[in-house]
Amino acid sequence: MTPAPAGPARKAARRATETETGLVHRNWWTPYLFLAPGLVMVALFSLWPFVNTVVLSLTDAQILRGGGFVGLDNYTRAFADPDFWVATGNSVLYLVVVVPCLVLLPLALAVLVQAKIPGIGFFRSAFYTPVIASAVVVGLIWQWVLRSDGLVNTVFQKLRIVSEPVPFLTDSTMLLVSAMIVTVWKGLGYYMVFYLAALGNVSVSLHEAAAIDGAGALRRFFSITIPQVKPMMLLVGTLSAISALRVFTEIYILGGESGGPGGGARTLPFLIRQVGLGFAGETGYASAVSILLFLLTLVFSLLGRRLSKGDES
Amino acid sequence: MTRSYLTRVALSALAAGALLSATACGVGGGGGEVKEAERTGKVAGEITFRTLQLKPVFTTYVQGVIDAFERKYPDVEVRWEDVPGDGYNEKLVADAQAGALPDVVNLSTDSFQLLGDRGMLADVAKLDGQVARDYVPGAWEQFRLPGKGEGVYAYPWYVTPEILTYNKVLFAKAGLDPAKPPTSVEEFFDYAERIAAGSDGQYAAFMADPKGRLPGDWQKMGIPILNGQGDAFTFDTDNAVKWVERMKDLYAKGAMPKESLLKSDDINQLYGGGKLVFGPGSPGFVKDIKQNAPEVYANTQVAGAVTGKLGHIGIYAQSLGIKKDTKHLDAATEFAKWVTNGPNQVEFSKKATIYPSNANGLADPYFSDRGDGKDAETVARAVGAGQLKTAALDANTPVQWTNQVGDAVVREMQKAIKGEQDPATAVRKAQEEANKLLAKTARR
Repeated sequence: MTPAPAGPARKAARRATETETGLVHRNWWTPYLFLAPGLVMVALFSLWPFVNTVVLSLTDAQILRGGGFVGLDNYTRAFADPDFWVATGNSVLYLVVVVPCLVLLPLALAVLVQAKIPGIGFFRSAFYTPVIASAVVVGLIWQWVLRSDGLVNTVFQKLRIVSEPVPFLTDSTMLLVSAMIVTVWKGLGYYMVFYLAALGNVSVSLHEAAAIDGAGALRRFFSITIPQVKPMMLLVGTLSAISALRVFTEIYILGGESGGPGGGARTLPFLIRQVGLGFAGETGYASAVSILLFLLTLVFSLLGRRLSKGDES
Repeated sequence: MTRSYLTRVALSALAAGALLSATACGVGGGGGEVKEAERTGKVAGEITFRTLQLKPVFTTYVQGVIDAFERKYPDVEVRWEDVPGDGYNEKLVADAQAGALPDVVNLSTDSFQLLGDRGMLADVAKLDGQVARDYVPGAWEQFRLPGKGEGVYAYPWYVTPEILTYNKVLFAKAGLDPAKPPTSVEEFFDYAERIAAGSDGQYAAFMADPKGRLPGDWQKMGIPILNGQGDAFTFDTDNAVKWVERMKDLYAKGAMPKESLLKSDDINQLYGGGKLVFGPGSPGFVKDIKQNAPEVYANTQVAGAVTGKLGHIGIYAQSLGIKKDTKHLDAATEFAKWVTNGPNQVEFSKKATIYPSNANGLADPYFSDRGDGKDAETVARAVGAGQLKTAALDANTPVQWTNQVGDAVVREMQKAIKGEQDPATAVRKAQEEANKLLAKTARR
């Protein structure tokens, strides 16, 4: 048992308790004060623009003209607009192709560069370089590689694999494929880092035990490594799905302002920019398409969440 | 359901409601009439002057012009702000919405149209009717606004005319006479066909990008872009279909680089690398080639732009607009006149590859000197200046041909040139799309 403090020490202890209780009981708003800067930022830069977009999507506002309320007209127009469906199809196709690539390839790459051998740091950095390269530079490099008189076509023609140049950049479908290649190439290093972190947590003893039991490298990869990095795979899947739905730069740089010949390679963000920008930009309609893109992203995110929940159970 | 849950829901709803009502306020604004300022006869006060991407290359020149003005009018203080080209128009829009336009502002053709249409610019003809005769008529006329009477809503500033540049060695290789450049669109296409036939895929004739060719090519072919009232597009004609057929045929024959159908931003590289016969149609380009590809520069010939049935080029002047409700109208007016006067424009033109819109400036011998006729840059200057003297508005892109209209037309043309769509269908669909967009703008 500790003896009770006497004299000035007791007074000081009582004061401290009072202050503490005072904080809890009197200044109930103190925690909110700490939260306020963050909350204000979120409200100002995320919540407000979002709510404003919803409001705008119900108007026929243009860049310099205030709009009147038009109900769901913009949404009806989007559903009847062939351009909207082409863009939605391209966005979903982009997601369907790019996400599996970005979930699996970086994992394979991470396994390769995980090995602790001399000089591996160079390869890790090399694979990460595309991530830090500017989108414009990346776009220019790939343009030179893929144009009709570019590197790939010249090699293909010299080796007599093709007689005519492959229209990587001048055919809508090929342009989409080219943009997907660039996205995957640029994303490899980024998600590789995620997987390297996850692989660091994979239990070594499990691997050793399985090896003693006679499991080969492939078997150990599928039965031990994959189950342990699965949560990371789901996270990478969700993140890459969201960025795949937002793809714009690759198509813009490779396919020009029109989004491929006849606009055939336009994705939803591309369409939003096209209808919303410029002095005759239709802010109302662009907002409606943005909201539809948001809903599409939400659906895929929820799908990812559901997958991860099912996995946990 | 707990009480705290209910409280949270109620609070969220309240916050959302507050935000909604606040944002809704922003949606309804923007349509009010701007009050017009009046002259007092006293040239004084602090004015803001915004330019488009002139720093740092022309800092000394612009600052010199400002300093000289301030010496002449000691009661005026000019605050100069320079904004980069990227997002210039967007910034103007934002400032216009916030009522924070500068007193004197550098405008391009489209931003002039936009601000003028919404009554945000002062009528400079009314401020000083005498000043009109100082400018090239084509340039002064350009700043009238359809449906707004005799008003002129900006002072013309510098101009860049269209010219024709080509590689005379590649020209001769195709059996063409470098001294006889094409003068009509049809002839231009004939030349391109001959160039493609003899190039063996080593070089192309011109860039396919329909965005850069339309509606100019159609205007030069005498195709009516709009009806008399200017409220409907009328380019769906046999001639327009012929244009598409010709482009499609030439594209297939390799007269244009394949990727140039989508964009033409690498035109300088291609021309500088000897892979293109016709270069960009601007005098500034000739200077670039002189610096970056001296060998190709030596082979470069300059001629008047292809003008076809019109016989003259259009005029696209940068201008200086005055904010309609400026607090210092006299200072702003005098300053805009000062910047765009003959001597100041000539001095500017000697520092950059631009031309004065000021008639006195354009009459300076500097602009008519062809040298020995061998230096492309000197010839380009004389050719460009010569063309400006007869330039007229009917060769300009009509204001109804907005970016959106251009994009819609270009998309249909690209499909047709690639052979994915029949040319007649492409022109018909392009006109339908363009008219839909026009109706949408007019409705409001």
